[in-house]
Amino acid sequence: MPEERVVSERSSNKRISVLVGFMCLFGVLMIAKLIYVQVFKHQSFIDMANAQQSRKFIIPARRGEIFVQDGNNELYPIALNQQLYLMAADPKYINNPDEAIDKLSKYLGDINKDELRDKLANKDSRYVVLSKKLADTTANEIKKLKIPGIILSPRDGRNYPEGELFAHLTGYVNNDETGQYGIEQFKNQNLAGTDGVSNAITDSLGVPITSNENTIIKPKDGNSYVLTIDRGLQAIAATAIETAVKNNKAESGSVIIMDPKSGAIKAMVNYPSYDPNNYQNVNDYNKFINGSVSTVFEPGSGFKAIAMAAGLDTNKVKPDTKYDDTGEVQVADKTIKNADNHKFGISTMTDVIQKSLNTGMVFVLKQLGTDPNRITSKGKEVLYDYIKKFGFGDKTGVELAGEAKGFVKDSKAYDVDYANMTFGQGLSVTNLQLVDAFAAIANGGTLYKPYIIEKEITPEGQVIKNKPTVIRDNVISTQSAAALSEMLKQVVQRGSGWPTRMAGYNIAGKTGTAQVPKENGLGYEEKKNIGSFVGFAPVEDPKFVMLVRVNYPKVEGFAEKTAVPAFGEIAKQLMMYYQIPPSGN
Amino acid sequence: MSSAAMSLRKNQNIVKNKIKLQSGPVTTTLMVVSLVIILGLMYLSQVTKTSTFNYKISNLEQKQNQLQSTKDNLSIDAARLQSIAEAKKAAETAQLAPVKTVSYATAR
Repeated sequence: MPEERVVSERSSNKRISVLVGFMCLFGVLMIAKLIYVQVFKHQSFIDMANAQQSRKFIIPARRGEIFVQDGNNELYPIALNQQLYLMAADPKYINNPDEAIDKLSKYLGDINKDELRDKLANKDSRYVVLSKKLADTTANEIKKLKIPGIILSPRDGRNYPEGELFAHLTGYVNNDETGQYGIEQFKNQNLAGTDGVSNAITDSLGVPITSNENTIIKPKDGNSYVLTIDRGLQAIAATAIETAVKNNKAESGSVIIMDPKSGAIKAMVNYPSYDPNNYQNVNDYNKFINGSVSTVFEPGSGFKAIAMAAGLDTNKVKPDTKYDDTGEVQVADKTIKNADNHKFGISTMTDVIQKSLNTGMVFVLKQLGTDPNRITSKGKEVLYDYIKKFGFGDKTGVELAGEAKGFVKDSKAYDVDYANMTFGQGLSVTNLQLVDAFAAIANGGTLYKPYIIEKEITPEGQVIKNKPTVIRDNVISTQSAAALSEMLKQVVQRGSGWPTRMAGYNIAGKTGTAQVPKENGLGYEEKKNIGSFVGFAPVEDPKFVMLVRVNYPKVEGFAEKTAVPAFGEIAKQLMMYYQIPPSGN
Repeated sequence: MSSAAMSLRKNQNIVKNKIKLQSGPVTTTLMVVSLVIILGLMYLSQVTKTSTFNYKISNLEQKQNQLQSTKDNLSIDAARLQSIAEAKKAAETAQLAPVKTVSYATAR
């Protein structure tokens, strides 16, 4: 018996030992696993937990706003923020589509009932966008209808209260909240600001809950801009160019008004325009383009002032320098003629500008060189230098998206090319370049950088004022500028600019009726022209420089019938707007 | 010191009472449990307060957003009513005549 008990105790002890051994092993394994999980895999599990329990929320920054001023420096918004709603549907949850369509159709003006029915019939799709731009009030009304399956999500939108009037200056903001065209594109980053981020622990439904671990990076709102544009002048210009385009059955037209003593743009309009609030309804994308800075054209006779400036400033010609106008001049194998084949005999340089004589401009080009009887390389170099000094062939740097730089042939080009360039053919410029060059003539020879932003305002209220920037001083001397201004005055007093004549006011300017090159580059279109008039007033102390351009008018005649009357109408109103009394001369 | 005073001090009985605080395991357990309960209640009260404040903040933020939205809408309405297009309409309705000539007074 005692032996059996001993054996039994031994067996029991053995089993206990085995059990303890297993438990120890289990314990060791547990500890090993815990060490593995908590030490070696620590970060990976933290990351997994964070991914499940926390979410990143974007806190959108408010986009900066855009303002213009009026004559009393009062600010008017032209681009504002607005909370809009995106309405979508989950067709799976719409049990009674007909009832839903009846209720919704009155809020969705741009979608008809059949279209809506098609959209809601697609039960496979779980997210059908019905409208991207619902106003706050409309969204609230739809919410009250409690239609199952209708989703309304708030989103920031943009509103342009002036509609078409400033469309080419502002551009618009697309559905991705990115600025397109105009200042919205050019200053997109500054306007948009920087979104904030909130990293928050969430509950099982993804709703953020209060926790010390939550972090917030606050958004930085965008900067706002005040433009140099005068709202009153913009309206005057817009009305005048619309009338001019309609009266001349033209395709389009543009106006720029600039302060010649600073380069500040006071008005810039293109007709036809578009409503940036409904940019998605525009079918012709050309309407988005600001024709004043993004499209180029051959300036025609308006450019004669630039070539004449070169002649005057180099002292190669004077306003009373004479030449014999035979109506045509031979350059290499080409014959250059005056418009309408007129010939005036002995004529002065003032006559050349006043009567817009092509032969006279070739005469000036010849004088610029080493031999006054022919076109020389030196003459072409001098002209090229002056063209570049006036800013042609380079972007002006205005704060608008899509600026074109135009094209100027260098002095190695053929003589005939340069002969054509003296009267504005064979080179391309933008409206803004041409008006800026005339501003330099008006102000006595200083080329300013055109600018459209007067002030930038940070969300903290700090105001950064934009100052006029001189691109080039002494483009031409003050004396040359004064002489040329007098010659340009004659265009209005006695020449093609007569429709702008106003009693008591001295206006200087130059008409241009430019031919339009064919798309294949071979010659010019026969029935297409671009009428323009660029000028400034009052000559003795210019307050504005302005360009009016009318594209492809269908009425017969030169610029004096298309662009000049519009210039005159605007100039008349500008004199009243700026309260410029007549000088009596 | 006088002899009378000395004799009085000799005959004095000085008794010192020491209070000994003793606690058994039950008291300790009760105290710990009480402490835990008090701390728990404090924690709960703080959490509730924080949640209440959080709710208030959320409500205020919502109100702020609503007010911002209303302000935005009013600004847009104001801007639209002051727009050039509206001014033109108003001028037509009121049959205002455009200014054609301006006379300037000369200072003497």
